[in-house]
Amino acid sequence: MFNSDLPTRADLPTSAQLRRSTRNAALAAGVILITVVLPAEYGIDPTRIGRLLGLTEMGQIKQQLAAEAMADSEAQTATLDTPPQVSEPAAPAAQIDADLLATQVEAAVAAALAARTQAPAVASPDVATALPEASPGRSDELVITLAPGEGAEVKLVMAAGAVASFSWTVDGGVANYDMHADGGGESITYERGRGVPGQEGTLEAAFEGNHGWFWRNRGEQPVTIILRTEGDYTELKRLV
Amino acid sequence: MIRKIAPLALAILALAGPAFAHAVAEGDKGYIQEVTGVNLIPFVYLGAKHMVTGYDHILFLFGVIFFLYRLKHIGIYVSLFALGHSTTLLLGVYFNIGINSYLIDAIIGLSVVYKALDNVGAFQRWFGFQPNTRAATLIFGFFHGLGLSTKIIEYDISPDGLVPNLLAFNVGVEIGQLSALAAILIVMGFWRRTESFWRHAYTANVVVMAAGFVLIGYQLTGWIVS
Repeated sequence: MFNSDLPTRADLPTSAQLRRSTRNAALAAGVILITVVLPAEYGIDPTRIGRLLGLTEMGQIKQQLAAEAMADSEAQTATLDTPPQVSEPAAPAAQIDADLLATQVEAAVAAALAARTQAPAVASPDVATALPEASPGRSDELVITLAPGEGAEVKLVMAAGAVASFSWTVDGGVANYDMHADGGGESITYERGRGVPGQEGTLEAAFEGNHGWFWRNRGEQPVTIILRTEGDYTELKRLV
Repeated sequence: MIRKIAPLALAILALAGPAFAHAVAEGDKGYIQEVTGVNLIPFVYLGAKHMVTGYDHILFLFGVIFFLYRLKHIGIYVSLFALGHSTTLLLGVYFNIGINSYLIDAIIGLSVVYKALDNVGAFQRWFGFQPNTRAATLIFGFFHGLGLSTKIIEYDISPDGLVPNLLAFNVGVEIGQLSALAAILIVMGFWRRTESFWRHAYTANVVVMAAGFVLIGYQLTGWIVS
């Protein structure tokens, strides 16, 4: 009936061997759980071994992405529930984001958080000078400081087919970016990159809506992003 | 993964209107898309995790060692499987050969059915001969590797540090396989010592075969509706 012969008793492990193996397996599992799995999944690293292995960083990034996704969906729900606040959806999102991070990534990124709270102060004067004038063409310069792990999003409000030229550079390092747009239920990713010092080119709006960039500093040091835009858009806004 | 996330992201976007929204991947994929450069141990971990949590690979491995009792034999078969899937994993990602993930996963389901039929002696009974079990392990290993490479391509790993990270991922796959194997062997060790092993061995392989058929149906349906 089967494709092999019966084993003899001697081929099988003894009961004592099996009990020993079970105990060893359970011990090994405990060690792996504490030194590898918890750091890599949740950023929980009681032994500091995960940090040495580079796994704690993975867990922290995962927690950060999860927290941001949650803050994002909460902010969007809040926007739906209270239509009058539509004009400033970014502020509550950023607040929730920072709070969640503070509780979840804790002391590990304390330094980063300290820098993070300063970042908006640096950027806001530039945003303030760049508020709406419904002229067909305009130009702006925006300076954003990003602490390690921090992200920022800036959008140009454009009509379908409108064109704007742009350039941005990263002072003090490199950044990940996602150049994309959304509006009227549509969304598109124009270009993405990791670890680049800058980008320049022309943005042609694929549809009416918000077109721009999300940047993330994955380096060890704070960086400053200097964005220059010029062209056919009505507003430049920082969302995150 | 991409296919599953995209409609969800679109649905959220449609609800949200003008709020910000760059489609962010989370979890392992999110991590991979955030990092650049050589990250050896994190990729070893991801390879091992993929194997240990990949029930299709585990089911096949379970079938392969079901009737192997000596460590020497287990070593030979597991090495053949590793040789097979490592080859296609590395070549598949390096040359960017992405096969439809539903179809490749359906073939992996077929490998589970094949091994279960092999174990209950169906090929000997039906065709009067025993197909080479080592060759089958190697060949299905190639397909399992293509399944792995297809998933890695979907992860969109940074080109910066790709080869070292890929090799690390492959090392992780082997570590994960050996860990899963150790756990299976301990449970099988207890089971084989009881008289019921021989009464239930046939049924157990039929159950494994059923699981393989479910995998095939699940993946083919996914292919049709996607």
